[in-house]
Amino acid sequence: MIRVLFFGPVAERVDTREMQFEHTPGMTLHDIIARVGMQYPGALSIVSFMALNQGQTSDRQQPLQDGDEIAFMAKFSGG
Amino acid sequence: MPSPVRLQQQDFSLDAEIAALKQASSHIGGIATFVGCARDFSEGRSVSGICFEAYDRMALTEMQKLRGEAIERFGLIDARIVHRVAAVVPGDNIVLIAVAAEHRAAAFEACRWLIDELKQRVPIWKKETTPEGDAWVTPHP
Repeated sequence: MIRVLFFGPVAERVDTREMQFEHTPGMTLHDIIARVGMQYPGALSIVSFMALNQGQTSDRQQPLQDGDEIAFMAKFSGG
Repeated sequence: MPSPVRLQQQDFSLDAEIAALKQASSHIGGIATFVGCARDFSEGRSVSGICFEAYDRMALTEMQKLRGEAIERFGLIDARIVHRVAAVVPGDNIVLIAVAAEHRAAAFEACRWLIDELKQRVPIWKKETTPEGDAWVTPHP
């Protein structure tokens, strides 16, 4: 299972904080982006950062392992 | 003693954080602090409250990395970073950076560097309550 997390303005756009997708062999981050994009068209347009297992990544071709955690994040505004 | 890097709902005590720093070493010659607080305006609108949200595990990891990098980069004796994740009102504390060094220059520079880096690298978001409604803050470069 792949766990997908949304925060702040992105969570508001997709109207959920978490989604789960069945892991399939060869699955990449790009596949998850495409599936979320299909479900919520335009929702990811404000995403500036992605994280895989709590580490930032920009490699959409990165293969995913069962149990991975992905986060889609807008620009940070802490402080 | 509480961890030097924390996300917490409740307010923090500047005195307690400084006291914790002072316990680290008697070589400390200066402590610089930055306290970010909630203001009552933003982009020309009045703000009556701010609500923070964080990707806790990643934010903590990133804050711990920042602390380590600052200690190494500026030769600090110690550093503490505390960010509130809560609903706050104007005047409330939001974030604390406190650094201890042998000399003031390193302390001032590290303090500035840490808050600037935190804003860029730590996954925390804020939503402001204004007369026109609630709005997520879009950061400036």
